[in-house]
Amino acid sequence: MEVELLVNGKKEKIKIQSNVTLLHLLREELMLTGTKEGCGIGQCGACTVLLDGRAVNACLVLAADVQGKEVWTIEGLAQHGELHPLQKAFIELNAIQCGFCTPGMVMVTVALLKENPHPTLDEVKEAIKGNFCRCTGYKKILEAIQQGADEIGRKV
Amino acid sequence: MKKRGWGVACTYFGMGNTAKPNPSSAFVEVCEDGSAIVLCGVADIGQGSDTALGQIAAETLGISPERVNVVSKDTMVAPEAGITSASRQTYVSGNAIRFAAEQAKKILLKEAAEYMEENLIDLESKDNRIFVKENPGKYLTIEEVCTRLRKRGILVTGTGTYTPPTPEALDPETGLGIPYGAYSYGTQIAEVEVDTETGEVAVLNLIAAHDVGQAINPMAVEGQIEGGVGQGVGYALMEEMIVENGIIQNPSFSSYLIPTSLDIPQITSIIVEEPEPTGPFGAKGTGEPPSCPTAAAIINGIYDAVGVHITSTPVTAEKVYKALKQKGKEGG
Repeated sequence: MEVELLVNGKKEKIKIQSNVTLLHLLREELMLTGTKEGCGIGQCGACTVLLDGRAVNACLVLAADVQGKEVWTIEGLAQHGELHPLQKAFIELNAIQCGFCTPGMVMVTVALLKENPHPTLDEVKEAIKGNFCRCTGYKKILEAIQQGADEIGRKV
Repeated sequence: MKKRGWGVACTYFGMGNTAKPNPSSAFVEVCEDGSAIVLCGVADIGQGSDTALGQIAAETLGISPERVNVVSKDTMVAPEAGITSASRQTYVSGNAIRFAAEQAKKILLKEAAEYMEENLIDLESKDNRIFVKENPGKYLTIEEVCTRLRKRGILVTGTGTYTPPTPEALDPETGLGIPYGAYSYGTQIAEVEVDTETGEVAVLNLIAAHDVGQAINPMAVEGQIEGGVGQGVGYALMEEMIVENGIIQNPSFSSYLIPTSLDIPQITSIIVEEPEPTGPFGAKGTGEPPSCPTAAAIINGIYDAVGVHITSTPVTAEKVYKALKQKGKEGG
């Protein structure tokens, strides 16, 4: 079957098997490998992307169900060669070690900040509870999210 | 009701593979434009070895870190640097790289000494320049020195290799011997809160002090401490591998529980620098040590809070609850 959708602002028309996930579509068909497969069963959050503005686990979404919808992945964050404030903060504060959880962490935060531009620390912890990290102990990730949020707040 | 307590635990942890050689090698070249290449087969799995090892080369050569290019991922061309494990890469590969950089630097210093008509011993290499220690205004840039050498057909390269000192095989009968060349020491203090009705344990604060010899990159060291503490909390309270007849019964994140952002305490890292004589600029490793004393500190904190001593991990709410009930029965 064929599915047509917007990915990072660009119209894509892709032929897929009817039983593949959005994660498969992004990684294998569109070669957007920034989104990671950590478990494939919706438990780790490494595959978090925005679907019509909401954070979802791409491994739990059927590609067939995204017809006519809008998806944003980590690749869509940097604009005109400039990194997104969250990306800058993650790099600056050493919130990235192996990097596997990072795209999911950043995308779930983008979704959070859309709803709640000035979250408290507890609200941030709650928002990322579905994104596992084994390397960092979460501390620098939480700091980077707060720095990124402050930076976005300043720009607005 | 909720009761709080504090617990302390210490660790010492050997650097490198146990009681056997585990060498690393490296090549260093200083290029004509004054930048440097470090070739070393170290797998950076996110801990930041590319950065720290680049810094070690930069510091040794006197070149800015941004001008040092670490090539590590291609094992077809990079010399062997052993496993990224055993908290060994900063310590072992760091030394190999330092030795390689020292060899390259000797070529630069000799040339600079001849041209400036100074004694080798009076020269220093720093901030991309080779200058007279007592008269820094008299200098050559490293780029100038390399260009001069190249005109005469001399390239600036060095090779280094290192294995930790005196690892010997342990006595097969007694187990005695010298297993490691260096040790890292750490102490952690945990503040815990125990719910006496449910047995649930929350770790509120975790202060982790770790002796790393010399922190080459303090932010990366903090990352290792914080990550290790996270793993230690999981080991203490949540993680249990259930195996029956050789088959893992809980091979998924919903059944083998690891800490989420909601499970982590407030972590305070304290970097202790007691130089390791055998380490590069006094540095040694800190990959594993931060995950070692955490469980013990938490368990001691539970004892401080409610007077029960749990002796197996994970310390589940059920174990604490049962122990509290038992303590109650014994009138304790």
